[in-house]
Order: sequence, then structure tokens, then C-alpha cells
Amino acid sequence: MSATGFWLTLVGMVAVTFGSRYAGLALHTDLPAFWLRFLRFVPIAVFAALVTPALQGHRHEGGIRVAAAAVAAAAAWRTRLLWVGIAVGMTVFWLLRVPF
Amino acid sequence: MTTSGGRKAAFRRGFWILAPLWLGVIPFAVAYAVTARSAGLSLLETQALSVLVFAGSAQFSAVGLFAAGAAGLEIVLATLLLNVRHVLYGLSLGRELPLTRRERPVAAFFLTDEAFGVVAAARERSFSFLLGAELSLFAMWNLATLGGFVIGAAIPDPARLGVDLIFPLAFLALLVPLVRTRVELVVALVSGALAFGLAQILPGGLPILVTGIGGSLLGAYLTRGTLVDRGLNLDDAAREVA
Repeated sequence: MSATGFWLTLVGMVAVTFGSRYAGLALHTDLPAFWLRFLRFVPIAVFAALVTPALQGHRHEGGIRVAAAAVAAAAAWRTRLLWVGIAVGMTVFWLLRVPF
Repeated sequence: MTTSGGRKAAFRRGFWILAPLWLGVIPFAVAYAVTARSAGLSLLETQALSVLVFAGSAQFSAVGLFAAGAAGLEIVLATLLLNVRHVLYGLSLGRELPLTRRERPVAAFFLTDEAFGVVAAARERSFSFLLGAELSLFAMWNLATLGGFVIGAAIPDPARLGVDLIFPLAFLALLVPLVRTRVELVVALVSGALAFGLAQILPGGLPILVTGIGGSLLGAYLTRGTLVDRGLNLDDAAREVA
């Protein structure tokens, strides 16, 4: 691709990315109760969707990744701290990984 | 004076709350820079994508497509498919966060899954807290892009280290405290299963978008008849007024 082609493509990428990021924030209308409840569930549905596909991994480590995630979930439940969940999960993962 | 101190403190809390994710972000950005470099992009081009697009999976797919000689329009469409889920984040944040007209484009430009995640899960909701979280990732993503391009392959592959696991762990840690009722548990489990299934057949961002919509519809349907959501009313009324 030519240099001009690259920069034109970049402009398009910025437009669709910023457009997506801005559209939801900019929309400020009164929503019916159903859609207010809908939006309350967005974080739960989205977080779950960001977890499960990424647990598979690429190196047939699905089993120990899921085990690490289970311990991390328990740690997050007890402490409610993001960094503790991550630290505990990664520690378990690396420990389980060693023998394989 | 007090307000500015409060804002700075909120910014710092947002900035540091995402620090554990740097361990995942840095190798990811390095891998992106190395891929971009081998796809024939210059340092300026590689960095421009990180500064102006600032979306990991879209940048990865773009450099792959550049290398494959894809047309610009294809790359832009792939970017849209990967990033359109942010509409959902904006809609959710727009309800939870009081943002001024001037703050909205700034908050939007730096928005990521992770920044949305901590703000949606935190009790603290302010523009400064959000911006701190957003710029925490932006700074690391861009520094590591630069470092990765210059130092390159000397840094080990993130998949080999397994640090990519940090991202699902982070979202799991954010999710767990949010699940307090049976309906919330059902929505979380169904969404997790749905996304897993969809990820086998759809590219990157789409399973998140489809699941985000589907899971939230399920939640709204299952809570039908509840006049107003618990915990929502007074705060939200106050925020609407503000």
C-alpha cells in the first residue's frame, strides 16, 4: 500500500473507532424503563463475554487457565480488589504450568 | 482548590487501578509493534495507529491486512466490526457518569474495554477517574509500541509467557462483585456460554457486541415488572439533574 493509502486508511479507522466510542456517550435521550434495565446489565453481559473466549488460550492450556480463573474469581469475591484477582490468578496459572 | 485536588486524586486512583493490567498490555503492544514492523510499516505509521486508533485487536488485524495487501476499505470495515461494541459501552457509561459536552469526546477517544470495565464496576464514577484509567492504558500502550518497534523481537512472545490471561482474569475480577442476584447470575452464565460459542464462529469484537446485547436483553426481560431497579433510583435521579 502506498503512503497515501496508509494515511487514508488510518483516517477511516480513526473515524469508525472514534465514531463507535462517541456514539453511545453522545446519545442523551430519556429511555423507557426496559432499556434502562437493559443498560444496567451491559457490564455483566460484556464482562462475561470478555472472559470465556479468552480462557481458551492458544497452547492447549484451557484446563489450567480455567482452574486459575476459578481461584482468581474466589479471590476477587473475597477481596473485591482487581489486582488481587489478577495476581492470584496469574500465580496459580504459572504454578500449574510448570509441570507441563 | 479542593475540587482540583479531588480531581487529581480521582485521576490518580483511576490511573493506578489499571496498573496491574500493564503486565498484559506491554507484551501485547510489543507484539503489535513487531508485527507492524514485519508488515513493512514505518515507526511513524506504527505509532500513529497506537496514538490515533488505540484499539489493540483492530490494530493487529489492520497490520495483518496491510501485510496481506488488503484494500483500505476492507481494513476500515474490519476495524468497525471489531470496535462497534464501544457503542454499548458509551450507552452504559453515559447513564452512569455525569459528563459535560466537552468531556464526552475526550472520554470517547480514549475509551477501552478495560477503562469501561473499572468504571462500570467501581463505586467511583467521575470523569477524572475514567480519564485516569483511560490514560493509564494509553500511556503504556504507546510506550510499549515505541519500545517494541525499536527493541523488537528481543522481548518474548506474550502467548508463550501466558500473560494474555491477565485480560480475562481482570474482567472476571470485575464481574464477580457485580453478581448479587439470581437474575444477574443467570445473565452472567448465559452470556459467558453464548460468547464462548460465538467466538468459535465470529471474529474478535463481534461476539462481545452480540453477547452484550443478548445478555442485557435477557436481564431486562427477566427483571420485567420491577418498577425501578434497586439502588438505581435516587443516584440516577440525582445524576440526571446534575
